[in-house]
Amino acid sequence: MDLVRSGRAGPAVALAGAGVVAGRGERTEHVALRSAARGAVRADLDEVFRRDYQRVVGVAARVLGSRDQAEDVAQDVFLSFSRSSVPAAEATGWLAVAAAHTALNLIRSGRRRASREEIAAAAEDTVVSDVADAVVTREERSRVRAALAQLPHKQAVALVLRHSGLSYADVATALDLSPGSVGTTVRRAESALRKELNRHASSD
Amino acid sequence: MRHPTEGVLRRLIDEPAGVADPDRQHVAGCDQCLAGLAAARSDATLVGAALATEAPVDVDAAWRRLSTAVSAAAPTPVTAPRRSGRVRALVRRPAVAAVAVAVVLTGAGTAAANDWLKVFQTEQIAPVGFSTADLVALPDLSAYGDLEMTSDPGVHEVSDAAAAAAESGLDVPVVTTLPRGITGEPQTSVGGQASATFTYSADRAARAAAEAGETLPPAPPGLDGSSVRLVAGPGVVQMWQSSVGAPGLVVGRAVAPTAFSSGVPFETLRDHLLSLPGLPDDVAAQLRTFTADGSTLPLPVPAEQVTSSSADVNGVPATVLAARDGSMAAVVWVDEGVVTAVAGSLDGDEVLGIARALR
Repeated sequence: MDLVRSGRAGPAVALAGAGVVAGRGERTEHVALRSAARGAVRADLDEVFRRDYQRVVGVAARVLGSRDQAEDVAQDVFLSFSRSSVPAAEATGWLAVAAAHTALNLIRSGRRRASREEIAAAAEDTVVSDVADAVVTREERSRVRAALAQLPHKQAVALVLRHSGLSYADVATALDLSPGSVGTTVRRAESALRKELNRHASSD
Repeated sequence: MRHPTEGVLRRLIDEPAGVADPDRQHVAGCDQCLAGLAAARSDATLVGAALATEAPVDVDAAWRRLSTAVSAAAPTPVTAPRRSGRVRALVRRPAVAAVAVAVVLTGAGTAAANDWLKVFQTEQIAPVGFSTADLVALPDLSAYGDLEMTSDPGVHEVSDAAAAAAESGLDVPVVTTLPRGITGEPQTSVGGQASATFTYSADRAARAAAEAGETLPPAPPGLDGSSVRLVAGPGVVQMWQSSVGAPGLVVGRAVAPTAFSSGVPFETLRDHLLSLPGLPDDVAAQLRTFTADGSTLPLPVPAEQVTSSSADVNGVPATVLAARDGSMAAVVWVDEGVVTAVAGSLDGDEVLGIARALR
């Protein structure tokens, strides 16, 4: 896909995000169909669900900033998984990528409305301290999410997976990256988000 | 020794054991790398905090919800009508929706700044075969330069077709007869004009290639620092739900994509980008056949799952894409700079019928 992007600068950017999603989505669907044709729900669903549900919600919540929406996404993802023939050993990565893709698509499609709501909420801003040395306001959170929706798809997914606790090796496998390029991809995404925050900080 | 890449510095923060000893030793004694490491750590902490959520979940309740959904959606053996099986397989995030997104996002504009040379305007659509593996394995363009979104399409929902027409300035297609199994009013979304600028960086491209263990072919003179501006939109999408809640029919229309270059000829840019590592030979060969004036929009198609064929929609050449598994089909065509797509959990003849009857 990125080749279209490269080769044809034109629709490039435009198609990029959607194309990647289409690729992934269709693959999901394809797998889903094969299994559905047998009429069976996979036997290890319960076990995988209990092992990975919290993490899948966490991935979607990092993108969406809302636990309720994240749980909806997780339900959809596990529903697709239930009919798939994804090997159990690959399930964690598969579920995490599917959750990230689905959540990113959601914020992309509803970006304007969501950010308006969040900015309205931020009017009565509260300062939240999450990590010892990082203080992030609610408005900054909403800006970071808006910026996340603008990142190249793979960068955004890699970033979210890493911050959801997947190892570099897991992220590399899930996104078909070389392990060496995961750090670069994540770093680039973080740098872009930091710039976005600084841009607003300096223009305020 | 050379400095480790920023990717190595980043990994040093999370997984120091994953970084080679010589790199670690170098960083420990290098002020420049230590500064880079501190910056990476500070960005990582800030972004981590901004994305963090408190998400304690009730796994048992969630499991009950999933179990209900799974049994409700479980395929009925043998006698299930084919349509419902296909629709169910789409599960709310189908290729249909992806096609719709592509249409909205690939809408392109006409606004040409004087100092930009027009290098690309869509007049035709040609599907390019990709396997899914290619889709995810190909290099990200952002590795080869700066990609900056200069205007946000702000896709949002509107109340009806009239509102969509007023906002987009497009003739919103009217579906005369809905296919069987699809009823009700569509959900209508509008996107404004999107634009972005890509600036090629020879340095960055060389670095990305080196990280992938490849050597970058030499860039033609003048390419480093040259930019391509991409303009897309506005566009409109109408989406009908099928009786089981999956998108059953999607009709989208958008102003077709246009690209402008700040000077470097389109062929130069295309040929160089085509030579970048990671491009399968057969796909590169296909891309090379695109007309020099760039009048073809290559629509990426996962070849192992989708077949494409030609048709016409009221005299205009169109491309029909059909999933090999029969789950969906789409028809896409460009007429006077406007791209229109009809897609659904239907077969090729059905989408063509709807396309030809649009008003």
